[in-house]
Amino acid sequence: MKDLFIIIVSAVLIHNIILSQFLGVCPFLGVSKKLSSALGMGAAVTFVMVLASTITWIIQHFVLAYYEIEYLQTIAFILVIASLVQFVEMVIRKFSPALYKSLGVYLPLITTNCAVLGVAILNVQTEYTFVEGLFNSVGNALGFTLALVLFAGIRERLELADIPASLQGLPIALITAALMSMAFLGFTGLL
Amino acid sequence: MSLGKEFTKGIIRENPLFRLTLGLCPSLAVTTSVENGLGMGAAFSAVLLASNITIALLRKIIPDSIRIPSFIVIIATFVTLIEMIMHAFAPDLFKSLGIYIPLIVVNCVILGRAEAFASKNSLMPSIMDGLGMGLGFTLALVIISAFREILGAGTFYGIPLFGASANPALIMILPPGGFITMGIILALMNKFQHDAK
Amino acid sequence: MRKELKLGLFLLIVAGLAGLAIGYVNDITSPIIAEQIKQNKIDSFAEVYPGAEEVKDESSQYVKEEDGIVTEVNVAYKAGAPCGVIYTVEPSGYSGVVRTLVAFDIATQKITGIKVLNQTETPGLGANSEESWFADRFKDKTATQPLEVVKQEPVGDNQILAITSATITSKAVTEGVNTARQHYVDNFVQQ
Repeated sequence: MKDLFIIIVSAVLIHNIILSQFLGVCPFLGVSKKLSSALGMGAAVTFVMVLASTITWIIQHFVLAYYEIEYLQTIAFILVIASLVQFVEMVIRKFSPALYKSLGVYLPLITTNCAVLGVAILNVQTEYTFVEGLFNSVGNALGFTLALVLFAGIRERLELADIPASLQGLPIALITAALMSMAFLGFTGLL
Repeated sequence: MSLGKEFTKGIIRENPLFRLTLGLCPSLAVTTSVENGLGMGAAFSAVLLASNITIALLRKIIPDSIRIPSFIVIIATFVTLIEMIMHAFAPDLFKSLGIYIPLIVVNCVILGRAEAFASKNSLMPSIMDGLGMGLGFTLALVIISAFREILGAGTFYGIPLFGASANPALIMILPPGGFITMGIILALMNKFQHDAK
Repeated sequence: MRKELKLGLFLLIVAGLAGLAIGYVNDITSPIIAEQIKQNKIDSFAEVYPGAEEVKDESSQYVKEEDGIVTEVNVAYKAGAPCGVIYTVEPSGYSGVVRTLVAFDIATQKITGIKVLNQTETPGLGANSEESWFADRFKDKTATQPLEVVKQEPVGDNQILAITSATITSKAVTEGVNTARQHYVDNFVQQ
């Protein structure tokens, strides 16, 4: 139990997927202008990431490793993620139009979100067991959402600030991200 | 449009990283040293060129409705090939780039070029486009990593620059340094653009 | 329906061709990679314990569940008799596992060398634990007494000078060495 707790804390705070691993920087900068859309993206990524890394873990251990074709990992994982995203989109659209309205637009973006593929590969590479892998993906998803929501909160305020012309938009956002990343550096050594 | 133009547009005018800000993940993560930046740029360019060529050749065969999955399979194949070749022949680089090599698959630049260019153009322009974009991306990575390595480690391509007593600003090769560097470079680009107008 | 079938078939062919190409290259590169990993292992063993004629992996005999961070025990042989023991230990450092080799000489009961194989410590600080000048601080320490980390110039024989601003990493490596040392004393020293 203690180990699982450590995995979660480490994934959320210490090795935060965006601020220290740089996975998923594109949506981090792209969908962080408004708090509400950040929450939507966070929820969509959490859902897909946990589902995808669970399925890829099963595929890795029961298909790829069984037939000794681990070298097909990248290709198999990306196909799984792409079809999963498509499938989830279809299911949500059919059964919960309200949810689709709030999450739907973010789903297609997730296929090319390196965070999802990254966590799937990392789970396999660090040789996590199924439960450890599950906790790691939940932790990473939470870390992603946390960073995204915090960042969106700051950016909403930046809108009102008087920023020099050449720093407006992405540059100031990146510098803000740097400061957040510095703050998260303080968590290393926590365990 | 001439072939030369297809080549040069990727380097400055439509530089994938600085102009279009696509493919940020690898460019922030692996640019802690010029060697890594160059290695990542080379791997990226090879995949981009190969996928551009393949997709340009197959563009009339690939059915329109399943073109995206086909592109993803083609790109993933080349990424895996590059990964295996690097593992066999450049193990140190493979180790330091780590997980970011398979993640080239989800680099938006490659899929973006396949969709926006190679699937609509013939072989020669696609080659030129791939070369130019690859070179532009590599150049951008080298600029970022030079900035970070010189300030953060006091070296350039592993060669010490300031003597033993110098105390480099470590933060630049830590994660925050990646964000700061990118922010400053984009701000400078904006400034030059403003001044030019 | 026929159209869908055709599309599916097309994707299948593309994926099949991709698999074939990857499989072909894998056949060429995998022996090279395997050879490299083997050679690396031999080289690192020779670095921490020079002069062995043969090194055998005897982990199954010596590594037990309760040993914790000891993951591998390799025994070095000279002229058919065991002459040294090479441990792989995985203590936790500042931001992750610091995988370290520790070698003891059976004749002198001293540490012949250590080597940090893999770490994710802070570049420029804890990452310096990979450097040979840090590894040299452990050389020739006796296996029979516990080592401790100090921040000033060491006075005692069993003291290890920490890396500047990286005390946690230094302590982690020392903890690894101490664990290996205890295991060595328990298993290889005649009482």
